[in-house]
Parts: sequence; C-alpha cells; structure tokens
Amino acid sequence: MKQAHCIYQDDAHRWLAIARDPTKPGYIIDTNEYVIVHGDEALLCDPGGIEIFPAVFSALSAECDPTRLAGIFASHQDPDIISSLALWLEFKPDLKCYTSWLWQSFLPHFGGRDSTFVTIPDPGMTIRLGGLELQAIPAHYLHSSGNFHLYDPKAKILFSGDVGAALLPPDHSGLYVEDFSRHIRHAEGFHKRWMGSDRAKRDWCERVSRLDIDMMVPQHGAIYQGADVQRFINWFAALEVGVLRG
Amino acid sequence: MNAPERNLHFTSTNSGELARIVRVNEEIKAIVATAFRINLMALNAIFLAKRAGNAALGFGVLSNELRRFAQDLTRHMASLRDMTSGSVGSVTGVVQQQRNSAILAAAIRLSGDGVPGVREARKRGTTRLAEQQAKLRTLDMRLRASVEETQQLVELGGVLARSAKIEAAYGGGFSPALMQVSTDFAEVIAQIKRSLEILGKERLVKD
Repeated sequence: MKQAHCIYQDDAHRWLAIARDPTKPGYIIDTNEYVIVHGDEALLCDPGGIEIFPAVFSALSAECDPTRLAGIFASHQDPDIISSLALWLEFKPDLKCYTSWLWQSFLPHFGGRDSTFVTIPDPGMTIRLGGLELQAIPAHYLHSSGNFHLYDPKAKILFSGDVGAALLPPDHSGLYVEDFSRHIRHAEGFHKRWMGSDRAKRDWCERVSRLDIDMMVPQHGAIYQGADVQRFINWFAALEVGVLRG
Repeated sequence: MNAPERNLHFTSTNSGELARIVRVNEEIKAIVATAFRINLMALNAIFLAKRAGNAALGFGVLSNELRRFAQDLTRHMASLRDMTSGSVGSVTGVVQQQRNSAILAAAIRLSGDGVPGVREARKRGTTRLAEQQAKLRTLDMRLRASVEETQQLVELGGVLARSAKIEAAYGGGFSPALMQVSTDFAEVIAQIKRSLEILGKERLVKD
C-alpha cells in the first residue's frame, strides 16, 4: 500500500512523497503524488487517478490533516494525473485546482465547476500557499501542450511532472535515484517517445538550469537529488526526443 | 487498517438504473414504430372503405378514429420519450454519486474514522444522493402516470378495433378484405398493450 514519506521538513514546511504501491494492479501505471504542507495549508501535486484514490487519501491522511488541503496542482490533463478530482472535491468541495488555462474546459469532465479551477497562463504564475510562494514553471509540450512544473524556492524542490519519469522494474523500489547511469536507462524510452518537442525541451533545460534545485521530484519513478538533478538536465538536453525508436 | 480495496468497480449494482432506462426507451421505440404502422394501416383502411362505398360507411368512420388514435398515441409516446431522456441525466447523477461515495467510503475505511472532515464529507454525499434519488422518484411517478394514461388510450384503440371487426361483417363483397384489416388492427393494438404492460412494470428506481 502507498505510504507518505517526508522528503523535506523545515519547521511547519514539509514535502511528502506518496510513492510506491506494491498492491496496485499491474495494469495501472505507478504514480507518485506529492503534498506540500506549509503551516495550516497543504497543496497536493498530481493527485492521481480514480483507482488509486483510496490509497492516496489514506497515505495523505496518515501524515497530514486532509481538511487542510487548500488546492490541487495538476501539471497537465492526463487521467493518471487528475481523474480523481471529483473524489477530492467530494471530500472537500471548496478545493481549488491549479492547471494550465488550456485544460480549463477539459478537466470539468473529471469533476468540479467553474469556481474550482484557477487557470495558469502560459508564462506561469505564483501560487500562494499560506505564506509560501510557489512558482508554476512552464513545461509546455513536455509532454502535454499545456504543462507546468512547480518550484518551491524555500525547499529548493522542483516537481517535474512527467519530466524525469522512469518506468522502473518492480525490484527498483527505492525512493531516490541511487545510481544515475543505471536509473536513466529506465527513463530513456519514455522521454524519447513522450517528449514531443526538441525546442520545448531545450527551453525547459535552460529555464530550470537557472533555478536552485536540491531535489527534482517526478510523477513516476525515483527522485533525483543533489548532483543528479544537473546530471538529468544535461542528459535530457542531449537526448533526441519525439522519436518512436532509436 | 483494512487491506486496500482494489478494482473499484462499484457499477455492477448501480448500472441497473441505466439498464432500466434503456429497456424503457426500447419499449417506447417499439410502440412508436407500431403507432406509425397503425397510422398507415388506418390510411389504407380509409381508402378501402371509400372503395367499398355505402356498405363500409361505419368501417370508414372507425378507420378515421383509428388514425386519430395512432396520432394521439404517437404524441403520448413522444412525451414519454422526453421524460426518459431527461431521466438519463438524473440516473447518471445518482450513479456517479453512489460511485464517488463508495470510493470515498473505501478511502475512509483505509484511513480510519478519526480523520478530520470525513464525517462531514459522508453527510454531504448522503444528502446529495438523497436529493438526486428524490428527483428520480418524482420522474418515475410521472412516467408511471403517463404510461397509465396511455394504457387508457390504448383501451379505446382496442374498442375501435373490435367495432371495426363488427362493421367489416357488413362490408358486402369487401367484407373479407375489411375483416383482414380489422384483424390486423386488433393484433397490432394487442402488441402495444403488451409493450405498455412491460413499461408499466419498469421502475426507474427500486421501490
């Protein structure tokens, strides 16, 4: 069953990673959900699909008061990202969902009403959580045409959605990347196929290289920390993307 | 803590409501098609009565009435169809609410009842479900009332068909042809009666 792991804490400022679910049916892709807690408020990043809602809700509730959830950040529109929206709203109807303006009229198919959605313009925006200012970083076309990552300048953590994702074999259950060279083999095929624009990729690499990042936390696979963050950016910059094979 | 619940397929019992609407719609479609057939049959009967002349004056009047009956029946069925189309939205609302409540209940079972906010969430879900079910019950009552009205109309159609059979006996040389037409009317109306009986037994919500 999924468990919440605290990956950063500084007083009342915490990041929780809800990751690895050995009991999950094999036909559903494994996902990581992240909770940013700051004082009395919390933000859930990419809450996941309907099937895993009970496991995510339970893991989150074990570590933080779910009534403190102020919002949901949806990096993009995929079902493994946000199809559980209606269930989170069932629990807390006044939740706000931060997402690209592009998906404003698409995500209500999963649930929510007009007042649920806070749309993020293409250049990005600041999302306030308690006294904390989080930055929605543009990552369009990586892989979705309206795509954002979330940067926490205080914790120096970048939530990178599908960028950095790795489809790990079952025996790779570690939360963090331990051997970059071995790990990246499980990310290569995914990035080549799912990241569709070389130009968007170069823009993103340049953009995030300017950020001070201690941890890069993707929606699938293991977390990059320390030097592995820049290693990943360099690897990604050099990778040929938008190809079926090769 | 309970073991995690997997494959959250809560629709097996809830999808019954949608299946019932589909069955109701199919019966309505069958009656509409039959009503159209009666209309055509009545039109033919009117021409036949005209050809038979004085011997089939009464049959001609009844054929006109049967044609009017077919038109009234079509109007009734159109209104029934509007009702069932509207009920698809209400049934979907109930099914969605039941599914969400069931998944949330599974999440609460995993987390334990002590989690803040779960009692309120359950209460909200129960209230919403009760509202949607009440709406569906109202629709169901309207549908039943409308089916009963249609059944009365079809009774009248049955009387007209029987009278046409009697009139056919006085049709002289056209009597066998008129008898055949009136027998067809009676059979088709009996078919509609059977469909309406099935419709009358269908419920959009379980009692």
